[in-house]
Amino acid sequence: MTPAWILDIFAALMLVVAAVSAARLVVARPWQRGSALLDTDVSHLLMGIAMAGMLASGLTTLSNTAWVVIFALLTAWFAFRVLVDARANGVRALAGGHCAPHLVHGAAMVFMFGALAGPAGGGGSGMSGMDGSSGSAMQTLRYPTLAFVFALILIGYSIWDIDQLSGRRYSTTPARVAPVAVAVPAMVGAEPATATLPSPRATGAAAADGVPSGSAASAEARPAPGGYGGGAAARGLLLSPATTVGCRIAMGVTMALMLLLMI
Amino acid sequence: MSEVAVADGRTARRGRLGTEVLPVGERLDARRALQLSLAAIWLLDAVLQYQAFMYSKGFTQMIGGTAAGNPSVIARPISWNATLVEHHLVLVNTIFATIQLLIGLGIAFRPTVRVALAASIAWAVGVWWFGEGLGGVLSGAGSPLNGAPGAVIIYALLAVLLWPADRDAAAPFIAGRAVGAHLARALWLVLWLSLAYLALTPANRAPQALNGVIAGMESGEPGWLAAADRGAASLVANRGLAASVVLAVALVLIAVGVYLPRPAAKATLLLAILVALVIWVFGEALGTILTGGGTDPNSGPLLVLLALTYWPVAAATRPTRPVGTEGMAV
Repeated sequence: MTPAWILDIFAALMLVVAAVSAARLVVARPWQRGSALLDTDVSHLLMGIAMAGMLASGLTTLSNTAWVVIFALLTAWFAFRVLVDARANGVRALAGGHCAPHLVHGAAMVFMFGALAGPAGGGGSGMSGMDGSSGSAMQTLRYPTLAFVFALILIGYSIWDIDQLSGRRYSTTPARVAPVAVAVPAMVGAEPATATLPSPRATGAAAADGVPSGSAASAEARPAPGGYGGGAAARGLLLSPATTVGCRIAMGVTMALMLLLMI
Repeated sequence: MSEVAVADGRTARRGRLGTEVLPVGERLDARRALQLSLAAIWLLDAVLQYQAFMYSKGFTQMIGGTAAGNPSVIARPISWNATLVEHHLVLVNTIFATIQLLIGLGIAFRPTVRVALAASIAWAVGVWWFGEGLGGVLSGAGSPLNGAPGAVIIYALLAVLLWPADRDAAAPFIAGRAVGAHLARALWLVLWLSLAYLALTPANRAPQALNGVIAGMESGEPGWLAAADRGAASLVANRGLAASVVLAVALVLIAVGVYLPRPAAKATLLLAILVALVIWVFGEALGTILTGGGTDPNSGPLLVLLALTYWPVAAATRPTRPVGTEGMAV
């Protein structure tokens, strides 16, 4: 059996991701008008908690059914985002757009919670401890082929993200891009969004900031509340696209691990 | 925070979500793409190494079993390693998995690509001996269908061929850039000719040899893969010699293909990819990953990746500066 302490390490990593995502939500104040959208961070927060609950035998979270519903909604949302992206930018956005990895993450979560095999699948938590037991017997997944396919895609996106992150494609500071008003559907529950349509110049500015155009940070049309005074560096790093991508890498690798452990 | 979908038209294509405008000439280098593929396979390896099976006696028995049939000078260290792993299974296997994890992440992380590739070569050679018994090459157990000459040695070969240096920048394929086209072709020739030779050894050309290899992979696999294995096994039942000869001819064609003119070379590389996929699906059952007991995806995907490193590249796509050489003389 895979030792429980190894799974606990990954569970702790997921809780760190969830905490970082929660901190980003708090610091960026997405409930304020004009603030940036929040779907990625909400997604990371929920996935971090859910995955930690699956990995660590001592953690009890929601029921599997509740998680399936939550992640199905998130998956539908990201699918919509990917389609919008594809309509605007061509079919390559289906796989290469920013929302595509989030879509895969969401779908993988639905699969993991929905395809748990046997009676262990009916309970709340504990990939390593079925429904709270202290052992390290793994739950298994129906459709191992699908689990393998998901794992491969997750690994691919994670490797790509690491390459892009180390190539400084993502800024470690919040981006500042002058918005050009184009109405597009925004986040569930958010204010009607003013999207940033990067003009060639604006896009260049984003690139100069090391920020993927049209990416998370490019939606932040103005500096986050609080300016760039004391503690701004830490705050800036917290809100930066690099932090989002770092969380995504940790989540992707851990999710791939879980899928393969449950085959 | 999240992103907002935007744009259409030309600007949008340049500034697509999740991408950035890459200045001309800075699009992903083909060699970097292949390095990332290698990194992904290492990462997959690492994750598989954390599976429950690797923390069981089955893993140590698997290692110990590779000593059988090897000369004692090769077999003794393998047995010693198996004993070491058995006595400290959790610690040693976790170290194994973590090393592979670091190699995969290191290749993907640009500043450490050289260190990680170098480490992967050392690690792969060690595992080839201590963990795979030199892929069964000396024991006579090796077959192209079961991963000979050892999947892990192909990792080392790929690391050498994808090394971020340009000894021969004008090489007509990626594999030739780091070591030169002549040496790269020679390495390809040796690998595939050795596979052809192994296909024709007495143990592998026996009437039921291929049937046995394929049928033996069926256990524990999902229905569709087990059915495919059954079908393939029945196809070669009692036709071991004929099937081995056909396989050997294909492997020889592939071996010499890199010396042929470009269109013929492409055709043989496609054949190499096809053969690798057939080996992976029918001979290796996807590395038995779907049974929960696979330590790696086996040689199939690596042979595909290797074939892609020999794919002829147009002069225009040849990159300017390899990743991992920032700030250093190449």
